[in-house]
Amino acid sequence: MPRQLHELRERLLRAGVAPRHVRRYLAELSDHLADLIAEEQRNGLARPAAESAALARLGDTEHLAQAMIRQPQLRAWSARAPWAAFGLVPIAVLAAAYAAALTILWTGWNWFLPGMDSPFGHQTTGLAYYYFTAGRALYYTAPLLVGWTISIIAARQRISIWWPAPGFALLACIAATVRVYAARSPRGGANVGIGLGLQNGYASLVPALIVFCVIAAPWIAWRMSTAPRVGS
Amino acid sequence: MAPRDSNPSFMNGVPELLILTLLRSHEMYGYEIVQAIHDRTQQAIAIGEGVVYPVLHALEEQGALRSHRKTVAGRSRIYYSLTRPGARRLADLTANWTHITSAIQTLVTNYVIGGTHAQAIA
Repeated sequence: MPRQLHELRERLLRAGVAPRHVRRYLAELSDHLADLIAEEQRNGLARPAAESAALARLGDTEHLAQAMIRQPQLRAWSARAPWAAFGLVPIAVLAAAYAAALTILWTGWNWFLPGMDSPFGHQTTGLAYYYFTAGRALYYTAPLLVGWTISIIAARQRISIWWPAPGFALLACIAATVRVYAARSPRGGANVGIGLGLQNGYASLVPALIVFCVIAAPWIAWRMSTAPRVGS
Repeated sequence: MAPRDSNPSFMNGVPELLILTLLRSHEMYGYEIVQAIHDRTQQAIAIGEGVVYPVLHALEEQGALRSHRKTVAGRSRIYYSLTRPGARRLADLTANWTHITSAIQTLVTNYVIGGTHAQAIA
């Protein structure tokens, strides 16, 4: 890829153009450039001169970038509404994942442990084991998966840390303080619920900090890989 | 690298109209579209070679075009073709364009005739 196209990719991603449109635009420009070079060579230019002429005909980086940036429908959702992409949507997805985990817990309790006072602390085997394990896996991994997703989206779209950081912090605090409750009602019905609480006081903030660092890792890795080298 | 000369305010909506018109008869890829505009307008309209793609992407997002990858003579290219909503859009744009050019033509013709008439009287 010529240097101009690499610069164009960075310019477009930073301007909020959706990565799929950026990828396709660059692929089409590369093909177009190859056609222009071939045309200039057919017209009698040597390869280096043909390349220069073709790049000039294609347009400069800013001109090509502005043409794409001017099309509002080609912008990524995270650029159009970053507050939703990095705030509301991750929390809504996490809430949905917790709701699914609670549903698994409630149905598993009713199906596999109908006579028990609580679904916790029992040895299960076979299908019951896998069913409860799936629920537990969803419950524990949901904050990480949601956090990594927004972290990767932010990195792919060259978004500043200020947009995803509040979302990371919120996810980390929820993951560190969330608790599941299960109890039989006086009439014998199975009730499950979820809540937030600092069970170990401010010591709960340590796991929150760890979760924050873990979910921010993809963004930090991208930032470190693109940071200017000392002395370069 | 200098961009080609164009008149942005007069060119608003023109690339869209030209592209939809060209794609009415058969599918084409970007380079082919730019060459066709260049050739069929006797080089009167010069669209920046690279800026045709954002217009194509936007038209596809709006449902006016569809695209597919096709390999021809060993080269893989993205071909664009007109959809039914795209044909309706073309009809609207063409009607609008015809209306505007006809209005401008009337104004210019009257001005030229009026000017010549005024000169003749003087």
